[in-house]
Amino acid sequence: MNNYKHIGKNFIPPDIYGKVNGKAKYAEDFRADGMVFARMYTSPVAHGRVTDIDTSAIDNMEGVVGILTADDVPSTEAPNAAILTNNPAFIGDPILAVAATDERIAEDALNKIKVKIETLPFAVDPLDSLMEGGPDAREEGNVFSRSREGSGFKKIKWTKKQIEEFRAGKEPTGEHATEWNYGNLEQGFKDAALIIEEPFVTTGYAHMSMEPRTAMAYWQNGTCYVYGSAQSQSFWLPGLARLLGVEQDKVVLISENTGGGFGSKIGAYPAAALPGYFSKKLGRPVQLRITREQEFYIGSARVGFQGWIKLGFAEDGRMTAGDVFIIEDIGPNATGGDGSSAGGAISLLYDPEAMRFRGLPVLTNTTPRGAQRGPGQNQIAAIMAPLMDKAAKALDLDRLEIRKINAVNNETTVYAEQRPVTSAYMKEALQKGADLFDWDTKQQFPQKINAPKVRGLGIGQGYHSAGAKGFDGLIRIAPDGKIHLYSGVGNLGTYSYASTTRAAAEVLKCEWDDCIIHNGRSDKNLPWSSYQAGSVSTYAQTRTNYVAAVDAVDKMKNIAAKIHGGKADDFDIDGRHVHHKTTPSKSSTYAEIAQAAIEFGGTFSGAIYPEDIHDITKRSVQNIAGTGLVGVAKDKLPQNGVIPGLAAAFVEIELDLETGKYEIMDYVGIAECGTVVHPQGLDAQMKGGAVWGMGMAGLERHVFDPQNGLPANIGYHQCKVPSYLDVPSVTRTDAVDLPDPQNPFGARGIGEPAMGCAVAALTSAISDALDGYNFGRTPVSSDMILNYVTGNNQSFKPLQTNNF
Amino acid sequence: MPSYDVMPEVQLYQPTEVDDALNLAEKFRQQGWLLGGGQDTYGWLKDRAKNPTALIDLNDIEAFKGIKATSTGIEIGALTTLRDIIRNPLINDHFEILAKAAGRVASPQIRNVGTLGGNLIQDTRCWYYRRGLACYRAGGNLCYADSPEAMNREHALFNASRCVAVSPSDTATALVALNATMVIKNIDGDREMSAEDFFVGPDTHITQMTALEPGEILTGIKLSNEWSNARYYFEKIADRDVWDFALVSIALVIKEEANTVKDSRMVCGGVACTPYRLNKVEQYLKGNPLSEKIITNAAKIASQGAETLNYNHFKIPLMENLVKRALRS
Amino acid sequence: MEFATLKKDVWGREVILGASWDLLWVILALTFIGIAMHAIIAAAKKRKAAPDSSGKRIERHEKIDRIFHWVMAVSMFVLLITGIFPKIGIEFAWLTIHWVAGLLLTVITIFHIFRSIFWQNIKDMWIGLKDFKEPFDESYKPGKYSLAQKSMHASVTILTLLVIVSGIIMFALIDTPWWERTNALSEDILGWVFLIHGLVSLALVAVISLHIYFGLRPEKLFYTRSMIKGWISEHEKDENHDQEKWVVKD
Repeated sequence: MNNYKHIGKNFIPPDIYGKVNGKAKYAEDFRADGMVFARMYTSPVAHGRVTDIDTSAIDNMEGVVGILTADDVPSTEAPNAAILTNNPAFIGDPILAVAATDERIAEDALNKIKVKIETLPFAVDPLDSLMEGGPDAREEGNVFSRSREGSGFKKIKWTKKQIEEFRAGKEPTGEHATEWNYGNLEQGFKDAALIIEEPFVTTGYAHMSMEPRTAMAYWQNGTCYVYGSAQSQSFWLPGLARLLGVEQDKVVLISENTGGGFGSKIGAYPAAALPGYFSKKLGRPVQLRITREQEFYIGSARVGFQGWIKLGFAEDGRMTAGDVFIIEDIGPNATGGDGSSAGGAISLLYDPEAMRFRGLPVLTNTTPRGAQRGPGQNQIAAIMAPLMDKAAKALDLDRLEIRKINAVNNETTVYAEQRPVTSAYMKEALQKGADLFDWDTKQQFPQKINAPKVRGLGIGQGYHSAGAKGFDGLIRIAPDGKIHLYSGVGNLGTYSYASTTRAAAEVLKCEWDDCIIHNGRSDKNLPWSSYQAGSVSTYAQTRTNYVAAVDAVDKMKNIAAKIHGGKADDFDIDGRHVHHKTTPSKSSTYAEIAQAAIEFGGTFSGAIYPEDIHDITKRSVQNIAGTGLVGVAKDKLPQNGVIPGLAAAFVEIELDLETGKYEIMDYVGIAECGTVVHPQGLDAQMKGGAVWGMGMAGLERHVFDPQNGLPANIGYHQCKVPSYLDVPSVTRTDAVDLPDPQNPFGARGIGEPAMGCAVAALTSAISDALDGYNFGRTPVSSDMILNYVTGNNQSFKPLQTNNF
Repeated sequence: MPSYDVMPEVQLYQPTEVDDALNLAEKFRQQGWLLGGGQDTYGWLKDRAKNPTALIDLNDIEAFKGIKATSTGIEIGALTTLRDIIRNPLINDHFEILAKAAGRVASPQIRNVGTLGGNLIQDTRCWYYRRGLACYRAGGNLCYADSPEAMNREHALFNASRCVAVSPSDTATALVALNATMVIKNIDGDREMSAEDFFVGPDTHITQMTALEPGEILTGIKLSNEWSNARYYFEKIADRDVWDFALVSIALVIKEEANTVKDSRMVCGGVACTPYRLNKVEQYLKGNPLSEKIITNAAKIASQGAETLNYNHFKIPLMENLVKRALRS
Repeated sequence: MEFATLKKDVWGREVILGASWDLLWVILALTFIGIAMHAIIAAAKKRKAAPDSSGKRIERHEKIDRIFHWVMAVSMFVLLITGIFPKIGIEFAWLTIHWVAGLLLTVITIFHIFRSIFWQNIKDMWIGLKDFKEPFDESYKPGKYSLAQKSMHASVTILTLLVIVSGIIMFALIDTPWWERTNALSEDILGWVFLIHGLVSLALVAVISLHIYFGLRPEKLFYTRSMIKGWISEHEKDENHDQEKWVVKD
């Protein structure tokens, strides 16, 4: 246990009150004088070309204020998402918007507009598009790969035989687009005592943010004020400015609370810029409310996989080789780099001695894809878990043991470049989980319980790189002694915007009650902070707050030396005072020091600031300069290697062989995220991740009708997120809590692996309940289980996707 | 396509007297929408997939609410909430299967406002139809759910006729099993019909789920003592255990005498456009003991005649298993 | 007046749904008015004495053709009732009856086509230019069939063929004991098929009403008898038909 004052302790994040009493404001709660309501007309076809827009019926309609079409906004090059488009590539692709004095009029107006669209071939399953003669989701091609070397369209087709062989579980022989590897793969398989080879599918599904991506905007003195639903805060500004076609200092983002983003709101998205353009055109504030249905169209979805994997294991259980081929369903906008990330996750979590990844990102006319909690890592976690079980069984090893044998540790090197990790304690996480879950005892219980139920035990492991560096920290001590902590990280609901500022409080040794957090509006003088995604906030923002606070403490000591004489090093702080180490009477309060900083000016007051900080931070410092002691610095702390966020989960299920349904009897999730910064926040992350993982394993749906490209899931009910009776009433979590050497407090992130370990534990448990049968698929729905148990064929084609 | 999610312009009537409600129902007929708990109302209206001109809110009519004992059984007002049914002692003492079925409807929040009448007359959940497509059920000329590649995992096994949608109501299966009587009123008077006849299939009424005609209001449900306190079984299998519709559900009431079945009524939900009564199983069981062999045979008989679609063949073993479970219980 | 009703297809485009069933009332009204007018005019005209039905009997319709006619009549009635009643709010399980009757109609129509080509004298039913003298020349007598009969037959032929072809296409789009429905037609073409089927059915309502009316008219009743019993009397033949154009084989 550490002796921190704030780190590792629970606290009440300031936004909680608003969420409890309903005063928290989300994007659609904002109003402005003269504001009008915009609504979008979206594509009814999966792929097409707009040939005519007839708005004559609403030209003189009372209450209609204006129309915005693709001609009014900058055009976007395919396959990137446009604000409005005349070349829709999925059902729900925005074509135009109408603004009216109230929403009902806007809806009435949309009903009267006539848009003619020439339909084009479309695909809702990558394999349909890959098939020779199959449809291309974009006129430019059916494959789009993004890489540092260059991005572009390709047209890749496989022969019918190649598709059929792939469907039959054989190694794909068709062309791929990306590849990386390390080690001697051939030798790895030669050294293997056991080789496992299987095809797999993971269906992508919606992000389902409770708050749709609504935005309101107006212009004031050439600055666009955008009230949006943003996952990140400062990180949004460059992208939002680019979308709006203005300089970064001409846009203000207000996003105090965000009703979920889950990866779909990391950076500025096109819909957030639409009100800005509309407002400019109309000369009045415009709110674009996105309906629930539209959120399912444009709110993005996880990338789906159709893949093949081959693993080699030595007699002792060590993974000697891993070969994975992934066709990625990248939707119409070629978003998501999940395939390679999945390969990376294998390389880190199981550390095969040699490995190859081949990827083929295929465009489909389905929901645009985007990063979703553990993009790539979590899909492959679900696929790998039953395969590890299979290997353990074949090699007569304990399932926990084989995971420990291959567990990532401080010596592991990862990815194609075989980089080091900052630290990793997966073995410890597994053991801690096994102890809490009582793995050894539970394993002794019989599998068959009261017929028709069978038990299944599962172990899952999750990983996501969980840190970033190079962002800025900014704090200010005011002459009244209050500590102002500026957080530009976004408020996704994880409270990390607040918990990471406690790193500064820790350095300043101050009371939390003396601290005031500033966040949620970019005109609140926020620094350039990390994106609120990729599990990075905890690691990145504890570092920025640390360096800003260290800068502040250094300045405080220097001021104290100036006031009391002596050297800065002779002074120390105690949370309220700066005092001479040997002559305690030489002491000034933080308030006095802050007042002195104003008087001294220069770096003390923020009048002079480091050159290497981001322009956004510079502007903020300029605004607050002279109002207290300013601590500001860019995070240049040493950082080398991959920063792993890790988690392990154990689950027990009871599966009903007569219905195909299972009940989760027990769940234990263990975080391995370095030092725990905020125990309650971590617990919530581990539980929320577990629920999501349970949804991915068996419930969450993404269905497209291949005949007409229609999505079936355009509402919460149809998407089947887990309900409170689909998850265990008690979910136990804990953490390894060993510090990472590359963070001043030893902290790493955890958000994403918290889910990956859960979905993996469940696929493992389902397989265990069915005597090792592996569906090689997520979700495993009850009908699939029932079909398997009764010996019936599955109703979908092998490797079919977007079908449940 | 446009995006809809605000209430369209509609006249709201809130009658407090039965006669006023009946007059309004008659006045507006197809253009009038009867409002109970609203759980299958607001979505349709906001999506503009249904466009009535008048909303007739029945919630202020006390005569349509409540549960009372009668000389022959009990009578339940159609506007009684599902929560009240779940908690009602009369129902729990005599017709527990109905409380059980009502308890599996949707979620607690929906059950707090959702009414028994609304649950019974709710429209099918076929996703194509709910999307507002002009399918047979919506007066169109084809079925999108029954075509070579349609996604129809939730759709019908039995009695489909052009339309392959299924009945979504959990309480309907229980009420058909209990041989309930539906009380229907219009301005000309009352009519009563059995629950079994109340639910109609696409072969006769492709745009309706029930025999309710324009101008009529389902005002009550009568349960006779015929099946009170009979041994019962209810189970609903859905993907999720809250806020989901049955993939297959089963409701059974059974009377036994000297270890043989004297009489029974068995009904499946989620397999046909109406609650699907297993007449042949009932006949087969009559006079037989509930031995494992009889139960196995009964399950096989239950699924006879099932016609599968692209994605729903799992419903056959599921249905058979539920029949077995019900009889073994 | 709208002939077609419209709907939105799966992608929101306006397509034809089918015939406007309001037309039924228009058709029925027009047919009734037409029949009433004819009846009034016919009553006003001096009526010739009906030819004697006694005496030598001449076979006008062979038994097999009479059976065909009445089977066709029944199937047509069944089809019209099962097709139209549900549209006017009389609900019953009509679909299976409808397609079974439709299949029957199809089979017997094919039979009739073959029979008329190979066994009957198809020229008897052929409408030639000369036939158009008949309404204008009282002395002109037709062969076996009058122009009115030929016109009725031609109308029924065209309408029946259209209703059969459109019906078979629609039949392919429902599940039957032999196949599962296909998706072969786009919704706009399907709409045209429904429209043709509907409009033709409505036309058949008019044509068949007229057919029945004429069949029941006193001066034509002997033709109806001939369709039941097979014969007409020589007097009836001589009075209405040209001996040379209708040569009766022994």
